Amino acid sequence: MAAATSFNFDTANLQNLTEMKDIQEAYDLLCKEESKIAEEIDDLLDHQTNLESKMSSLYRSVPNLQVVSSDAKQLGSMVSFTSDLAENVSGKVRQLDLAKGRVQDAIQRVNDVLDLKFCTDGVQTALQSEDYEKAAGHIHRYLSLDEKVLKQITPDSKEGGSVDVALHVLQDAKLNLTKIVREKFDIALQTADRASVERFFKIFPLLGLHDEGLEKFSKYLKSQIADRCQEQLAQAATLDPADRRAAVVYADTLTILFEDVGKVVEIHQPLVETYYGPGRLLQLIQWLQAECDKQASKIVDDFIKHREFNVKSRQVQAFLHRGGGRSSTTHERLDPRDLDVMLAECTLLNSRTEMYLRFIRNRVMNDLESVDEDDKTRGNKTADLEKLLRECLLSRRIQELIGNYIVMEEYFMRESVTKAESMDSLEQGSHTSSMVDDIFFILKKCTKRAISSGSVDCACALLNHTTTILEGDYQEKLYSKLRAGFPSGSFDVAQAYSMLQQGRFPTSSSDTNAAKLEFMTTLNNIEVSLEYIQSLKRSLTEECAALLSQNKDVGKDKLESCLNDLGAVTHKFKDVLDVSTFYVNLIADNKFNGMQMVQYGLSQLSTSAIKPRLKPWVENFLSVNHNITEDEFSMYEANDPFVQNFIMNLEQLLAEFKDFMTASNYDALVSLVTNEVTTQLEQTVLRSVFNRLGGLHFDKELRSLVTYLTSVTQWTIRDKFARLTQMATILNLERVAEILDYWGQNSGPLTWRLTPTEVRQVLSLRVDFRSEDIKRLKL
Amino acid sequence: MEDYKYLFKVVLIGNAGVGKTCLVRRFTQGLFPPGQGATIGVDFMIKTVEIGGDKVKLQVWDTAGQERFRSITQSYYHSADALVLVYDITSRESFNSLPGWVKEVEQYASRKIISVLVGNKLDLHTEREITVEEGNSCAESHNMRFLETSAKDADNVDRLFLDIAVELTNNVRNVEIKNGPIEEEIRDHGSVQGCCR
Repeated sequence: MAAATSFNFDTANLQNLTEMKDIQEAYDLLCKEESKIAEEIDDLLDHQTNLESKMSSLYRSVPNLQVVSSDAKQLGSMVSFTSDLAENVSGKVRQLDLAKGRVQDAIQRVNDVLDLKFCTDGVQTALQSEDYEKAAGHIHRYLSLDEKVLKQITPDSKEGGSVDVALHVLQDAKLNLTKIVREKFDIALQTADRASVERFFKIFPLLGLHDEGLEKFSKYLKSQIADRCQEQLAQAATLDPADRRAAVVYADTLTILFEDVGKVVEIHQPLVETYYGPGRLLQLIQWLQAECDKQASKIVDDFIKHREFNVKSRQVQAFLHRGGGRSSTTHERLDPRDLDVMLAECTLLNSRTEMYLRFIRNRVMNDLESVDEDDKTRGNKTADLEKLLRECLLSRRIQELIGNYIVMEEYFMRESVTKAESMDSLEQGSHTSSMVDDIFFILKKCTKRAISSGSVDCACALLNHTTTILEGDYQEKLYSKLRAGFPSGSFDVAQAYSMLQQGRFPTSSSDTNAAKLEFMTTLNNIEVSLEYIQSLKRSLTEECAALLSQNKDVGKDKLESCLNDLGAVTHKFKDVLDVSTFYVNLIADNKFNGMQMVQYGLSQLSTSAIKPRLKPWVENFLSVNHNITEDEFSMYEANDPFVQNFIMNLEQLLAEFKDFMTASNYDALVSLVTNEVTTQLEQTVLRSVFNRLGGLHFDKELRSLVTYLTSVTQWTIRDKFARLTQMATILNLERVAEILDYWGQNSGPLTWRLTPTEVRQVLSLRVDFRSEDIKRLKL
Repeated sequence: MEDYKYLFKVVLIGNAGVGKTCLVRRFTQGLFPPGQGATIGVDFMIKTVEIGGDKVKLQVWDTAGQERFRSITQSYYHSADALVLVYDITSRESFNSLPGWVKEVEQYASRKIISVLVGNKLDLHTEREITVEEGNSCAESHNMRFLETSAKDADNVDRLFLDIAVELTNNVRNVEIKNGPIEEEIRDHGSVQGCCR
């Protein structure tokens, strides 16, 4: 086979081979074929024995195969026989089933015909006796019958047959009854006859008029809602302004409206569900909401009119558009206090509305879920509901109200803050001035009120405004006071207070004492503000808890983002520091934090009020001889010539400030003083000379100082004294080489803060150490 | 904990119906949902992008265009790092409202804000009422960058937001470099840098 296919040399063309080259090629090809075929023959011959044994085994199995074949034929005939049998049996069963079904149908039809007869008789008597429920029941039964089938199967279904007559009668009765029910219902509506309304309401679904019944019924409910609401509005208009609820009367009226709608739904939902089936609430609500919108809109109109909402809103807008209008007189400026009560009512209106809409949403969703529908229909209905809630007139009116509310609340907040700043005062014994508490109180009050509206967007807007105020005006106010710096010279507190008692902070810089007090107060204000920002964020987060739990996803994210921005104001204080070259130049490292602004203020304080005063006190160290005899040493011990005095001076200095600073600011001040003391003392020590006893005495002096400073602050200061303590250790050595017991490998836990050169320098302060020994040291 | 290096706030503003929500959805979710209802208040989406090896989180605030939500919208201007002002190229009215929007931005936003003018609905260019030149010159006169987009065809949408992210990231990086050893340059008290944390 292989040879045949691969041998494609065309013998017919042999004659055409005239060229030697072609002949040669053809010959080569033939040779190749030949050798290939020879190979294949060899191959087959090689397998000859194998093939032969296979052939013989095949011969042997031939008889077996014949047996198998006959068995298979037999099996086949048996299977087909069984199949025929089964087909036979099941065919009969099917016939039986069909017969049974037909019998049942027949019984059904007979029943139907009987029912028809019964209904025809019943409906007429019922109509005559005005028993509409019964008549409607019959019509309902009739409507459930399949008229066409009925006509087909009855032999007398020709025109004029009894069934046909019965059907006609029923048809007429239905039209008749529908007419009667409509009329009666309308009369009942006009006379507000509740019992009749409910009676006929139940009949509509029996006549197959679900939508009509529901619509008529909702008309009745609407008129009820409207009547009651008008009544309430009239009452509201005549309410005594001194009444306890007068300030929130419109919110109350709106609440009553919502409660009425709620009650209507509550009472009638089971009725609708029983007679009209589940899943119809959305339709009912759509009709009812139209009325609710109308009435709510009236309430909002009244609110706007009687509270002069739009007038005030326009005033605020006009004020804002003048760009803060500093030129405007107080006369045309709206007093924020006039807004307070109205703003509160505004948020109440919104929170009631949110609550109402939530109620409606829950109700309808539950109703929708109780019906077995495919996802798409349900999705459409849910979308309809959301659209209704989002776009109903009530929502729009309240959104408008809240939009204006936000502007006015912001105005209220800003104006109140400005007022608090202008009335800023410092009470004796208080670290911070009144403005800090006042401003944070205002911010908290306003934002809390906005949160109480129950609207996430409203809450976020006021959180944003709070952040903006803190980051902007308030921060700038504090910084501008710090930038003025701390006036130099000593600080007479009594005089400062006497100035303050006459009124507010002095603005003239001539009075340095008061300016100093103000500077320290500002420092405290900043420090306390940082704390207050965090606690404001915490308490507002708590206020938001309810809102957060009601709103999933986006609402929650928005609130959290706005709250975080508020919390981050402390970081933004830092950013202002970044751009203020003032600070940048003074603070060495770049890792600012809020506290470092205070640090900056303190370092200003230190430069002008502390450094100059410390200097002479430290210089006193030089006047005490540290090259002393045993006698002098004991004398020093009994009656210290330097350190007691120095500590006393420090105590006085710190006491001046202590009462005017918050605890942490004071600690920061002590830390600064300590830095100054150690730096100056170090320099002074390097200008003295010591012997062994002098060194010992210095060590004692240092210990007293460290003990004192440790006692006045919460912070650790031992570390700041590390270099001085090490100097004392060196000055206390018996001999020069002893330093090696503490140096290098032997230093143990001690980390040397002094360089080898400095160690040598300190060693050379000892008059009894030879300079060759010091030079010879290998450090 | 938080998986990003910089966080920026981008606020979209413009008349109702110009396609702000569609732009945001296209960018953050890659969707173009037709038949979107009007936005209520403010919507909020997040997308993290990578700019030069750093994760940058963009908080996109999608505001309602309707007048009654204006006061809510305005409260976001101050903290925004970038503002995208959108109009509809098939609506003269939306274009004519731009000066009003610009004025509002100037009143409430911080001065260092990046603002971009966007003409949306490029897919409806056959019904165009505003030419590219008009858009461009309006942007120039208010010192804004300009781009025409189609949220439907995803034209220029990613570019719009990524350009903003790149510019903001560069700004912050430059400030970080300046805050290093050299500190003189930051003399302008007005240009508060407050976008990274």
